[in-house]
Amino acid sequence: MPIQILQGTLDLMILRTLATMGPQHAYGIANRLQQLSEEALNLNQGTLYPAMVRIEQHGWPPGSWGKTEYSCEAKDYTITRAGLRALDIETERWRQMAGVVEKLLAAER
Amino acid sequence: MARLRRIIARLSSLFANQRAELDLAREVASHLTLLADEFERRGMSPEEARLAARRAYGGVEQAKQAHRDERSLQWIEQTMQDLRYGLRTLCKSAGFTITAVLTLALGIGACTAVFSLVNAVLIRSLPYGDPDRLVYLFTPSPHIPIPPEAICPSYADFFDLKQQSHSFASMTAFEQAAFTLTSQGSVERVGAARVDESFFSTLQSMPELGRAIDANDNQPGHDKVAVISHSLWQSMFAGGADVLEHSLTLDGSSYRIVGVMQPEFEYPFSSDLAYGNPHIKATEIWLPLALTPQQKADRSPGAAVTVARLQTGVSVSQAQSEMSTLMARFNKLHTGERKDWGALVKGFMDNALGPFRPLMKLLLGAVSLVLLIACGNAANLLLARATVRARELGVRAALGAGRNRIVRQLLTESLLLGLGAGAIGVGLAVLFLRTLPLLDPGNIPRLREASLDANVLIFTVAVSLLTSITTGVLPALIVSRVNLTDFLKTGNARQTPGGHSRTQSALIVAESALVVVLLAGAGLLLRSYVNVLSVPTGFSESTVTLNISLDSRYSQPQQRIAFFHNLIDKIAVLPGVQAVGAVNSLPLSKSESLSTFRIDGYAKEKDQLAQSRFVTPEYLSAMSIPLIAGRCFTDADNSSTSNTVIVNQSFARIYFADRNPIGGRISQDEHHSQWKTIVGVIADVRHTSLEEAPAPQIYFPLFQDAFGSAYIAVRSLVPTKAVAFEIRSTLHTIDPNLAVADIRTMGDLVSEASARRRFQTSLLTLFAAIAFVLALVGLYGLMAYSVSRRTPEVGIRMALGAQRTDVLILVLKKAAWLLSTGLISGLAASWVAMRAIKAFLFGVDQHDPTTILSVCVLLAVFGMIAALIPARRAASIDPMQALRTE
Repeated sequence: MPIQILQGTLDLMILRTLATMGPQHAYGIANRLQQLSEEALNLNQGTLYPAMVRIEQHGWPPGSWGKTEYSCEAKDYTITRAGLRALDIETERWRQMAGVVEKLLAAER
Repeated sequence: MARLRRIIARLSSLFANQRAELDLAREVASHLTLLADEFERRGMSPEEARLAARRAYGGVEQAKQAHRDERSLQWIEQTMQDLRYGLRTLCKSAGFTITAVLTLALGIGACTAVFSLVNAVLIRSLPYGDPDRLVYLFTPSPHIPIPPEAICPSYADFFDLKQQSHSFASMTAFEQAAFTLTSQGSVERVGAARVDESFFSTLQSMPELGRAIDANDNQPGHDKVAVISHSLWQSMFAGGADVLEHSLTLDGSSYRIVGVMQPEFEYPFSSDLAYGNPHIKATEIWLPLALTPQQKADRSPGAAVTVARLQTGVSVSQAQSEMSTLMARFNKLHTGERKDWGALVKGFMDNALGPFRPLMKLLLGAVSLVLLIACGNAANLLLARATVRARELGVRAALGAGRNRIVRQLLTESLLLGLGAGAIGVGLAVLFLRTLPLLDPGNIPRLREASLDANVLIFTVAVSLLTSITTGVLPALIVSRVNLTDFLKTGNARQTPGGHSRTQSALIVAESALVVVLLAGAGLLLRSYVNVLSVPTGFSESTVTLNISLDSRYSQPQQRIAFFHNLIDKIAVLPGVQAVGAVNSLPLSKSESLSTFRIDGYAKEKDQLAQSRFVTPEYLSAMSIPLIAGRCFTDADNSSTSNTVIVNQSFARIYFADRNPIGGRISQDEHHSQWKTIVGVIADVRHTSLEEAPAPQIYFPLFQDAFGSAYIAVRSLVPTKAVAFEIRSTLHTIDPNLAVADIRTMGDLVSEASARRRFQTSLLTLFAAIAFVLALVGLYGLMAYSVSRRTPEVGIRMALGAQRTDVLILVLKKAAWLLSTGLISGLAASWVAMRAIKAFLFGVDQHDPTTILSVCVLLAVFGMIAALIPARRAASIDPMQALRTE
């Protein structure tokens, strides 16, 4: 059973993927996330596209058209400096959040 | 920062939408290609891979929509979509759009026009600082039967009040005065005010050029300085910067100009003071009051208007109670007969505008009803159209449009209608304001300054929006309730027959009821106006009158009497002149003099007062005032030693009820040592207003006293202009430095006296007429619509043997039912509503049966005519055709 993506975490995952893998198209990002999550994340296009638009409009990674390795055209997203900064902030926030939730769950057991 | 950036990006994508769409399509396509490639690599055939990619990808349209939702601001985008779509549909049905927009435009235009008046008269700010804290101070006496606002404090009381009161931050007294201004050969009369040093500072209004009148100017001997109005500066000195080096010649004396006021400042304007100098319309010159010590000590109530500015935190009623206490104390210092001078503190704005509030409310009420009727009509049009659009709405609902989305679309359309109507309405209001000078009674403050300023435009936009919503919301809610199952089952554009007809009928009934109210109001006002015009004035309306005021060169009484004697003799021999007389003040000229008197053989009543006039012997003939009994004055009566008087019929009726007034004696002095004999009785003359019953009047010979100003009345065979020209040149031969003022026929004065009534009557009649036409159009529209909907039904009826007259009656019966329901509810509504109009009526009861009945007949007859046209169309339906189309 695929897990639901928590509100706001998809942006973080996409930024992380781009920072690690370099310029990537939406399909590539989706594939990567699916692999990493061992198919637990079922990224439907209805969630991926809005996230890409959101990120693009924030100015984190702008998309540009290029060729893939099999020479068909695709829109590649490259992470920017602002994107890296946002990634740091978001990562920190996520860690705090996850830590709080972990602690709470441990304490209430 | 990132958030702001995102908002900008979303907004800008509204405009770069096409490119974003292309980009999105490309991205989706590339995504699909990549997927397909993947599948091919796994060993599928290209065709299989393509299909598998589509399956793996899922809904392309949903993904795109999710992208769009995130990319831009959906509500703006949808609104723009709605607007575009709305404009397109409205343009497609031009007939409907034009009718609806024009209907609403009439309503909005009428509202805008009336609001621009209200705005000019009641809302726009005055050229004084904080006018809400300004008050007038009056000292009415409970035993003098004239309005309290006509009695101003004496100078001695004024100075004591100023010194001893704590309620006022500052206080000023001024007197109005008219002067003859001579410049470069031309002579004209101008309105002026003699003001003390606190005048401008109390009003908090300062000159735009030079200085105000100060304490030094108010020292006798230093008072030959003047502040002039902006308009006089423009007309006399062409706005020249050197105006402060010039002088004015007023009544032969020279005054140095020390200041020029701001453009709007004309205080006191004629409408500011209900009992001001009737010769002065706007004040153009301000001079020092320069009181002598004797004047300052005078305790007899004078002509000095007192204005004060309330101390912050002091209310009008607090000031009122303080002033009452002080006046009670000052009364002990009074030496005259009366020691009962009271106190009245009245708001400055209230005094000037108070009388106009009811009228403005009445007009606003009337236009609101017009607007409501227009809204009703437009709503009916929308409902009728909705029936035609049922198919379109059904399809939209079937494709997944929610009810909210449909309501939104419909409201957007009515918004477009409302705004279009608002734009045309502003145009109509401009037309109205252009024609306003024709109606302007001249005595409503600042009415002439009515214009479409920002206030009015904001009001219009607000009314347009409100109108759109009122008009659109009911049809939108009713129509958007699409029953999808039924719609899909029948696939028919028609919903249940006569779908919204009940709502439509209710709207027409309500409209007719409102029209009854408006027509009844207009009818009653029209009757009142006719009643006012048929009031016997007592004089001939063709008599030409003019005013001549002597200046300080005529200081001796003998000089004045000789001047008027000479002038009248010279005018009498002009060609065409039949009679010429003189009087101290004309009927209906807004100035009144009252005398106390005592009658020989009649116990004196408390506060026995009569209007008094001083006239030359020929005056009665010049004015064509009929003699009822006795004789007129002769030249022998016309001297300072005369002891004869003439009274009017009302006087004779009250004080000589059962005896002959001729030979009766009256006296005016306290000790009744000097009796005057009544030699004649003449007809009643309306002196103060057309609408007040004639009061007792006494006429004295003019030359018994030496007046410095008099009205000349001329009955002549030649036209007014020629008479005026002749008199002007006659005056010029006697004294070239005197001006002729206020050249008018008595008819002009009557017309002026009825102008306010004419104004309100014509406006209300206009609005009632618009409402009437709107309601008839509405009724016609509904009948025509229902006939077109019932064509198949009528066809069947006729096929089954109904006669044409049966069909005619069928349609007319419905119209009659609607009209009679409307009439009955309208009658009930008028019974209540006419209470509001009671104060505006003259000589007619608020529930006058004739008027109400005529209104009902009028509406019934025209309503049936409006229904007859569609009824005849129904009767001429060809049954074959009707059934075939079905």
